[in-house]
Formats: sequence, structure tokens, C-alpha cells
Amino acid sequence: MNKILILLTFAIGAAIIFFVPPIKGLGEVAKIIFFHVPTAWVSVIAFFASAYFAAKFLRTFNFSFDRLSERAARLGFVFVLLSTISGAIFSKLTWGAYWNWDPRQTTIFVLILIYGAYLTLRAAVSDEKTRAKVSAVYSLLSVLTVPFLVFIIPRMYFSLHPSPVLNSSGRVEMDSIVLVVLIAAVVDATLIFIQLMRREIS
Amino acid sequence: MIVFDDVSLSFGRRALFSDVTLTLRGGKVIGVTGANGSGKSTFLKLAGKILRPDGGEVHLPDDKTIAALSPEMKIYDTLTARENISFFTKLRGKTLTAEEIIGLGERVGLDLETFGDVRAENLSTGMSQRLKFAILLSVDADIWLLDEPTANLDDDGRDKIFHEVCGAKADKIILLATNDKAEVALCDEIIQLPL
Amino acid sequence: MRLSNFHFEQVAAILRKDFLIGLRRRATFAAMMMFALTAVASLSLSTGGAFVEPKFLAALLWVVIFFAASAGIAGTFDDEAQAGTLPTLKLYADAQAILFGKMLYVFLSLTMLTIFILPIFLILFDVAVESFLLLSLTILFGLIGIAAAGTLTAAITTSAMVKGGLFPILLFPITLPIFLPAITLTEQSFTGGAFDVSSLIVVAAFDAILILASSILYDYL
Repeated sequence: MNKILILLTFAIGAAIIFFVPPIKGLGEVAKIIFFHVPTAWVSVIAFFASAYFAAKFLRTFNFSFDRLSERAARLGFVFVLLSTISGAIFSKLTWGAYWNWDPRQTTIFVLILIYGAYLTLRAAVSDEKTRAKVSAVYSLLSVLTVPFLVFIIPRMYFSLHPSPVLNSSGRVEMDSIVLVVLIAAVVDATLIFIQLMRREIS
Repeated sequence: MIVFDDVSLSFGRRALFSDVTLTLRGGKVIGVTGANGSGKSTFLKLAGKILRPDGGEVHLPDDKTIAALSPEMKIYDTLTARENISFFTKLRGKTLTAEEIIGLGERVGLDLETFGDVRAENLSTGMSQRLKFAILLSVDADIWLLDEPTANLDDDGRDKIFHEVCGAKADKIILLATNDKAEVALCDEIIQLPL
Repeated sequence: MRLSNFHFEQVAAILRKDFLIGLRRRATFAAMMMFALTAVASLSLSTGGAFVEPKFLAALLWVVIFFAASAGIAGTFDDEAQAGTLPTLKLYADAQAILFGKMLYVFLSLTMLTIFILPIFLILFDVAVESFLLLSLTILFGLIGIAAAGTLTAAITTSAMVKGGLFPILLFPITLPIFLPAITLTEQSFTGGAFDVSSLIVVAAFDAILILASSILYDYL
């Protein structure tokens, strides 16, 4: 599985560099979008995975679920940082500023705060049983904010987000090859995440 | 009746109880003895479902109420003796009259006419132990968990508490964690830890 | 929420007890009020009478409330844990009654804090409030949410060894769905004109969810 993933990742990397046409007017660096979208996707998946395992833990008091919940949060934190940085670079290229509190930037920033708070809480509680309980409770409490933020944030901040930049006609056309590579990259990142989670179980 | 069903509990790597199965019956004083760190207080907490075991289960009838006396369970320093008693009895759905409160004080040898309005922080250790025992009596629970109940008490205090324990045991389950000889002598049955 | 009549009596007893202790040990109240006053004073001094935009003022008000609330309610459970009374309380009272007793106490403390700091804020920044009704409703719904999330967060942080700063770190992300609309609504109450009813509904709905979630999750702590 590991070998296949490494191969797949290299293949996608090569496809991005050699086959995907440069995005009009943005240059080669803009291809960082192929890194940004998958990492953003995984950081959201990891967030829900962490909450899911937290709920499983509270129902069963099986500590392996607590470890999975923690692992998902740690991985999610790494992915959300990578995604934020790559997103900021893409933002600089497209809108001329690294940060402008676009709705999705705001959402991802909140995700960083929640991940950070969760990991700080884990570090602050020394007793293993208590740590598992309180972090699971916090994880489930924080997941409740997501639907509200998704509803609230776009009404509060003006959006310039890429999804129109990438597909609305007239600006940048999304070739079928771009689409295929992007989907492959998302699948690849998800598989990498799952593989990293499975290392914990074994 | 309290039933321990395959109960296990550990702190970190130290297993305190592993697969303990036993039944505690009412009508007598059950002593829990053992060296320091053998888990006497923990045993009481498990019996009262204050602590959840890692494995197995403790069965306790739902309608049984619990009261406890333990060095770990403090009363409110900033409240007066009377306010402490009223607060805890209120929690158990009872409102006591002034006379009833003073009567409770007499049973444990605490003059609540004089000390009733003194904040608990200004009571001596022995007096505050008597106050805690008065609270235990006031809530009228079915199960008593007593953790070294007469530590810090003079002979008079001991006699009063022993008297109350003996008088109450017929319709209660009383667990007494102790290594004190006089307290051990009071028990009808002894559980020696480790199990 | 499984609360019977008996539990309401417990809730009332716990609320009354906390007020009695709060009045006798004024340190927590005093710290919360002084924190708010210091924050408002320092902000007002540093802007030095210059014109501040209503949007920014609305944000400042909520930042002050948030941090003063953090200073005041972080110890909701921890003070009892330190004093050794938390195990006694947990033995004699139902868990849900403890949660709701504390939550009501937190809510009432925050209300007093706001009654104290709001006039000072409005005077020092020379804010003309166009709609007091909207401002009051926004603050009411905002405080309910902070009380619900804050009480559970206070229960969570009780078990932490390192407490410095942990409480606001944990509380902030989960109260964001309150702050963001509350700031907009507060701004609208300053400037007047049409306001966004749906934002108020969002805050109220999130309050309800926080109360329900706290009730369910507290049993697992």
C-alpha cells in the first residue's frame, strides 16, 4: 500500500508539472492549488474523523478510539497548516494579498484555532483517563460550530474565493486534464491520510 | 446490596483491583482495611459509584441514596455550619427547622446554638469533622461510606460517632475504611485489601 | 435534559449557595469587573477621543466581554476543586443540577458584568445607541451562549494541570458562531436602520444547541 501511494503521489506530481497547462496569467507557482485543495479537504475530513472517534470513545470507553481521535487531530493540524500556507501563496498570486479574511480563509483559520485548542488541552491534562474524556468532549463540542460557521461566515465576509476563479468561463478554464489531476490529488491525499491513521491501529 | 462484578481498576500502570467479584450486604458495618496505598478509599468510591471501574461493573439499586464522610470531601469554608447543613439537606430534598439542626448538632456533640453561625473555616479540625458527620446524619442515606471517620476526634467525638454508627446499621449498608483499632473493633465483617 | 422538580430545587440551592459564596469572597467578581474596566479604560485612553468606527466599537465591546468573562468564569468548577468541595457536591447533587446551577450562576454574573461595563463603555467611547432593544437582545442571547459554552469549558479545564490561558483558548473557537453575528448586530444597534433578524435567530439557535450539548456532554466528564 505504501509503495503504491508513493508511486501515485509521484505520478500526480509529474502530471502537475509536465501535463497540466500553466494557469493563465498566474504562472507555474499557481499550480500550488493542486496541493492546496487536497490538503484543505483532508484537514476537514480529519476534523470530522477526530470527532467521530471521540464519540466512539465516549460510548465504549475503549482507549484505542481515543488514540485514533488524537491521531486524526494531529494529522489534521499538520494538513490544515499546509493548506493554509499553500492557500495564502495562491491568494497572493490571484488577489495580490496573502490574507484578506475571505470566508474560506476565515473558516480554515477557525479550524486551526480548534485543532490548536484541542491539542493544547491534551497537553495540559496529565491523567490518561481524564485526558481521553475531556478531549473527546471538547472535540464533540467544537464540531457543533461547523454548520453554524458555514452558514454565518459567508454572510459576513465578502468572497473572492477561487472556486469561481477555477471554473467560471472567461477567467480560467478548467480543462478535463486539470479536473482529473485535481480529483486524483484529492483521492491521493485522502489515501495518505487513511494510511497514516492505519499505522496507529497496527 | 452492592455487587462488584468482575471489577478492575488501575492507576497508570499500577493495577489496584483486578477482577474483583463480591457482594456487600446491609445490616452490618463492613470494615475495609489494608496498608497505605492498598486502595481503601478507592474501594469505597467504587462501591458508591463515585469512581467508574476500568472493567466490570458495580451494581447498586437505583433507589438507594449515598452519603459519605471522607478527608477528600470538604464542606464549604465560607458558609456557616448551619448553612452547610441546610445546603446539603436541600440537595436531598429536605428542609430542616432550626430545632432539627440544633438537634443534629447535639447528636455529634457540636453546640450549634453557639457555633451555628460561625463559618466552617473558623471551626477547629475536630469540630469540622463533627459538622461533616452531622451532615451525613442529616441527609439520611441508605449507604454510608466512612473513610477514617474518627480521625482528629477526641474520645467524646468517637463515642458519639460509634454510637450513631451502631444505632444506624440495621437498615443501612455501612462501609468503613480504616486501620484504627477502635474503628476495626466496631466492624461486624472485615474486607482485607489487597483482594 | 432530564430535570425533574426535585432537580429544580437542587439547581436553586446550588445557585443560592454560589451567590452567597460569591458575595463573601468578592475576589472573583472584583477581578472580573476590574478586568473589564481596565480593558475599556486602556482602549479608550489609547484611542484618545478619536473617532472610532461603529463596527470596530462593536468588536471592542465583545472582546472586552469575552476576556472579562474568561477571567470571571474560568474558576466556576476549579475553585470548588481547589477547595475540595467538588467531590462532596458531586456526591450529594445530581450532575445535571450541578451543571445548570452553575450555568445560571455564570449567566447572572455575566449579566451583572455587562450592566456594570456597558454604560462605562458607551460613555467613554461616546457611542449613541440607536436601538437599545436590539442591543439588549443581542447581549442577552450572546451571554446565554457564553454561559452555556463557558460552564462546560470550565468543567473541562478543571482537570488540566496547566491552566494559565487554557480557558480562553478553548472557549473562543466554540463561541465564534455567537461573536460574529453578535458584533454585526451590535454595530446595527449603534448605527440604527434595518437589522438582520436571521443573525439574531442564528445566535438563539446556537444558544439552544450549546445548552443541549453541554447537558449531554457533561455526563461524560
